[in-house]
Amino acid sequence: MSAPAVSAPAASARIVLRGAAKRFVTRRAAVDALGPLDLEVAAGEFVVLVGPSGCGKTTLLNLVAGFESPSAGSVEVDGVPVTGPGPDRAMIFQEPALFPWLDVEDNVGFGLRQHGHLSAAERRAVAAEHLRLVHLEGFGHAYVHELSGGMKQRAALARALAPQPRALLCDEPFGSLDALTRERLYAELQELHAAKRRTTLFVTHNTREAACLADRVLVLSPRPARVTSVLRIDLPRPRDFYDPRVSELAGQILALLRGDASGGGLSRG
Amino acid sequence: MGETPAPARRGLILLAFLAALALLWQAVYSAGFLPGYSLPSPGQTAARLVELARDGSLWPSVEASVVRMVLGFILSAALGLALGVAMGVSPLADSCLRSLFLGVQTLPSAAWVPIALLLFGLGDAAIYFVIVMSSMAAMAIATADGIATIPPNYVRAARSLGTSGLALSTRVALPAALPHVVTGVKLGWTLGWHGVVSAELIKSSIGLGFLLHAGRELNDAAQVVGIMLVTIAIGLLLDRLLFSVVERRIRVRWGFAPDSARG
Repeated sequence: MSAPAVSAPAASARIVLRGAAKRFVTRRAAVDALGPLDLEVAAGEFVVLVGPSGCGKTTLLNLVAGFESPSAGSVEVDGVPVTGPGPDRAMIFQEPALFPWLDVEDNVGFGLRQHGHLSAAERRAVAAEHLRLVHLEGFGHAYVHELSGGMKQRAALARALAPQPRALLCDEPFGSLDALTRERLYAELQELHAAKRRTTLFVTHNTREAACLADRVLVLSPRPARVTSVLRIDLPRPRDFYDPRVSELAGQILALLRGDASGGGLSRG
Repeated sequence: MGETPAPARRGLILLAFLAALALLWQAVYSAGFLPGYSLPSPGQTAARLVELARDGSLWPSVEASVVRMVLGFILSAALGLALGVAMGVSPLADSCLRSLFLGVQTLPSAAWVPIALLLFGLGDAAIYFVIVMSSMAAMAIATADGIATIPPNYVRAARSLGTSGLALSTRVALPAALPHVVTGVKLGWTLGWHGVVSAELIKSSIGLGFLLHAGRELNDAAQVVGIMLVTIAIGLLLDRLLFSVVERRIRVRWGFAPDSARG
C-alpha cells in the first residue's frame, strides 16, 4: 500500500448489512437488541439513523465498527465481512474519549503510529493539517482537559480522520454539547463531508440534526431495531440548521418516529 | 471550607504547628508525669542524635536502610506491577490473586519477620523478603484496579484507530491506569519502609531498626525517639521528592488538579 497522501481523497467504503441481528444473552434473559435488519450505505453517502432511545442504534454502529459481531446475518464493508475493529472505520463517541496522557497533537497523531512508514515529523505534519481542518490550530500542545467540550469533540474528529478512514461512524457525537457549539459543528461537519465525501453513518435522536446532515434518514423501530421508514433529503448543501425546509423535514421525521412509538411502543410501558 | 493559603504561608503555618508540638512535648516532660528514662525532652533527643551522627553510628545505618529499601522496593514494584497488569487483563488471574493479596495485606509487616528468618536465615535476603511481602500486594491491586476502571471507550477508540495486541497494553492500558498505579506505588513505598524497619528491628547489626532496638536494650529513650523521628523524616522526604512530584504532574495533566497548581 502506498503512503497515505494527506490531501488525496480517501476512498469511501460501501457498507452492507444483510439480515444482521444482535441478541445479548445474559444469565437472566435474552435481549434482542437489533434486527434482523437490511441496510446498504453507498460509498460517500451520509446516512443518519434516528430511533427511540435504547432501540439498538448504538448496537448497529458497534457491529459496523467491529466491536461486536452479529448473532445472525452479515456485516460487510466493501464486500469484506467485518471481523473486528480497524482503522478503515473511524468511530466518534458521545464522550470524546481523548487520551488524557497525551497532548492534543499526539492524540490526533495516535492512529498514524500504526502506519509504520510515517516518520515522527510526517506524523506531526498530518496531525497539524487535521487540527487546521477542525479549526484547532495552535492547540496542539494543550492538555485534553484544557479544551472546551466543543474543542474536545473537534479534536476527536481530527483524531478519527487523520488515518484516512473510508467510513466515519458517529454515535451521537454532539449529544452533550451546548446548542451554539453544536450548530457551529453542523456547518463544519458538512464542510468536511463535502471535501472528502467519506461514507458516514450517524446516530442521533435529534430530528433537526438528522434533517440538517443526512442524504438519507432511516427511522428505526423500538428494540429490536428495524428500519420503519426511509426519508431521502435532497436539500442543497451546506444546509443551515434554521432553514425552514430543514425544520419541515425534521417535523416529518418526528411524525414518523411518533407514529411508530404509538403503533408498536405500547408494550414498552 | 476556607481558601487554601499560598505555599509560603502554608509552610509558615506548618512550622508554627511543629514548634507548638515540640513545646507541648517539652511541657509534658517538664511536668514530670513520666520518669526521665522513659520520656526524653526534645533537647535531649536532639543532643543524642547529634552524638550518634558524630560518633559515626547514624549515617551508615541510614545508608543501609535506604539502600535495602531501594533494592527491595525495585524488586517489589517489578513483581507488583507485572502481577497487577496480569490481574487487570485476565479475570482468571484476578479472581485467583485478588483475595490472596487482600489477605496478605491484612498482615502487619512485622508479622513477616519470623517466617523470613526461618526461610532465609540472618542474611539481607530476609529483609528483602519482608519488603516485598509488605508492599507488593498493594501495588498489584492498585494496578489491577487502574486497568479495570479504564473507560471502555479509550480501548474502543484505540482499537478503531488500528491498535491491537501488545500495543493496546503499552500505549493505552498502562498510561490510562497511571494515576492508580502511581498511587499504588506511593502506598507500596510507605508499606515497604515499614517492612525494612520492622525487619531490622528484629534482626540486623546495622540500620535504623537496629538503632531503635539498640536504644531500647540500653534504656536510651532519647535514641529511640530520635531514630523514630529520623525514620519519619526519611520516609516523608522520599515520598515528597519522588512520588508526590510524579503524582502531582499526572493530576495536572489529567485535569484533576486546579489550574493554579501549574503556576
